[in-house]
Amino acid sequence: MSVTDQNTPNMNAAAPGSAEDLFTFWPRHNAAIYQALADRHTQVEIEQAAEQAAVEDARAAAGGERQRVVAGDGADVSAVPMIAEDPLESRMILNLGPQHPATHGALRIVCQLDGETIDKCLLDLGYLHRGIEKLAEVKTYQEFMPYTDRMDYMSPYSNNVAWCLAVEKLAGIEAPPRATWLRTIGCELARISSHLLWVGTMVMDAGALSVFLWTFKYREEIYSIFDEVAGARFTVSHSRIGGLAFDYSDTSLSMIASFCDDFEKQIADWKKLLNRNRIWIDRNKDVGVLTADEAIAEGYTGPCIRASGVEHDIRIFEPYLVYDQLDFNIPIRTEGDSLARYFVRIEEMEESVKIIRQCLAKLPKGPVRVDNAKAAYPSKDEVYYSMEGMIHDFMMTDTGVAPPKGAESYHAIESPKGELGFHLVSDGTGSPWRVKATTGSFKNLQGLETMMEGAMVADSVVLIGSVDPVIGDSDK
Amino acid sequence: MPETPDPDLAAGDADRQPEPTPPPTVALAPVAGALVGGPDDAPFVDPAEQAQTLKFHFTPRAALAGEMERLQNENPHAKATWQVPKVIAALQDRFADAVTDVVGYAGETTVFVEKGAIADVCLFLRDEVGFDYLTDIGTVDRFTEEDRFEVFYNVCALKARKRIRLKVLVDEEDPVVPTVTGVWKGANWHEREAWDMMGIRFSGHPDMRRIYMPEDFEYHPARKEFPTLGIPGSLPLPPNHPDGELQPDPFPRAHGQIPKDLSTDADD
Repeated sequence: MSVTDQNTPNMNAAAPGSAEDLFTFWPRHNAAIYQALADRHTQVEIEQAAEQAAVEDARAAAGGERQRVVAGDGADVSAVPMIAEDPLESRMILNLGPQHPATHGALRIVCQLDGETIDKCLLDLGYLHRGIEKLAEVKTYQEFMPYTDRMDYMSPYSNNVAWCLAVEKLAGIEAPPRATWLRTIGCELARISSHLLWVGTMVMDAGALSVFLWTFKYREEIYSIFDEVAGARFTVSHSRIGGLAFDYSDTSLSMIASFCDDFEKQIADWKKLLNRNRIWIDRNKDVGVLTADEAIAEGYTGPCIRASGVEHDIRIFEPYLVYDQLDFNIPIRTEGDSLARYFVRIEEMEESVKIIRQCLAKLPKGPVRVDNAKAAYPSKDEVYYSMEGMIHDFMMTDTGVAPPKGAESYHAIESPKGELGFHLVSDGTGSPWRVKATTGSFKNLQGLETMMEGAMVADSVVLIGSVDPVIGDSDK
Repeated sequence: MPETPDPDLAAGDADRQPEPTPPPTVALAPVAGALVGGPDDAPFVDPAEQAQTLKFHFTPRAALAGEMERLQNENPHAKATWQVPKVIAALQDRFADAVTDVVGYAGETTVFVEKGAIADVCLFLRDEVGFDYLTDIGTVDRFTEEDRFEVFYNVCALKARKRIRLKVLVDEEDPVVPTVTGVWKGANWHEREAWDMMGIRFSGHPDMRRIYMPEDFEYHPARKEFPTLGIPGSLPLPPNHPDGELQPDPFPRAHGQIPKDLSTDADD
């Protein structure tokens, strides 16, 4: 095929004169979004329909017949027509993103505005879709781990651990105790790092810059710790199937200890600044209120569901690593608004410091990787100085862990964004047959659509920030 | 020299064999020397088939006898949340026809349900057992002749701290499953993802659009026959300059094409 053959007119081009013809790029996609937006019912319509349905139900109970019509968003709208009139021409459609500084990544939001109120809202994902689930199918289990760094890139350490734990469950491998305790420390540091970024950008979204600079100073310290621990500041890739790549150095452990002392005082300062700050509270209180029932039905996870008074945290729900041996609290708020989500996250950081302190105190001695050449890489000493070690290293790189054929399991951890789980299916070879990642941002963004409806345009930035989406996490 | 594939692996349980139709872009080097020129009474093995089995990594020996059972019962990561014998009994009692099988691995529980009954089973679990939270909906392409796809539903009971997995088998000829958005509102995007990635439609879904790929894309990339390098021309990208044409293939070199010279394109 010659090059010019490929430049034939686009076979996906829309027919002239059709609705899709309005769009110069990805015509069907854009037409479908605008059609879905038009088909969606506004919050006002849904409320009216609910009232109407109650009246109809009462009539039906009295002996009449009634036909229920369920609309696109699950609302019963049999009696209420969509509000089509717009005499003052106050409605407009606004596209936020995908390149928008406040959408925290390449997220596109299409909203229909009525004056300054958001009537309807649709989210368009996929601008950062890399298909890593498909990529995993042609990699060995260990080879895939660096890809998890790039999922929720605000907390790479806990993504690595989530992946390794999922593979260890599938293959029945148990990491040695020291590795498990060290992984817990790393996960909690990642949680602090992720929440620090959230607090900084969230306060910046609400209009204040100084907190952003302060939180980034401490985020930088965590990066220095990760640099010392893993040799990389951002995409650490420190975990291995069956343990860790190498032990934490004494320097890094003392860095972590001094970070905890310093950071605890700092959080107290931030709380003094923000907890009773008039502007901060006015921007966040009663914004994006989410009841417990809504949060459960729409599948929110992580700090979002806990801010609505639902006690759901994988660390308590099904303890992994060493969380069942630690003494810590799960911060919960019942208000369900944006301010509650702030309190939950800032208190979670304090709890993380507590957890890290306990881990440092109880840290056992011993190896950091399981001593079984069929389950994990051999140590570098073995590789350099023994023939078997080199063969095993080669075998681990070439094939790696091969869980039994037909094995299928799911393991989840509580990442900073919520539940992060991997559903793995093995075909008996060294690469997974199927990987399905369950990520917190995906589930939280789904609820954002309804959360935005009825809100003010000016609050949209606060709302997007308050569910803490990371697009690498939601788009996979 | 690559290991010859285990005869048991090839003969038994053929439905889990990875036999993807070879995408034209993947170079399959036949291991000719090992296969032709053997003793006359050796069974003939098609070199092309052999090469496919060895496509990405050599296949290690089949699982040891009893390995599966050992890991099922003694997994170090088995969680108490998956222990739901009463729920299984209740499901088998209530939906005797619809519940076809109950399997487990690593202490987990998977209940196979008839496709048509999935919404009823979910409603029963939510309202009468307390499984109020949907964690995830996912799909598996088993690449078999019959019942090619699996759709699984990971469901949680938040108060009781329990998990269960429901599974539905879907045939390639009729890849339609009843939606569960009426049971858990949060199923919406998960089902859209299943449609986008695996091409399984959900009847009664309120907004069955693709979620990651644009509507103009015509394939379902998580299916096994979809090549990892993508299909040239399937997803045009914007032109390099305002007057240019759409780029039909953003990765021409990966598909063996020489990319068009950008400077000449600008001059056109």
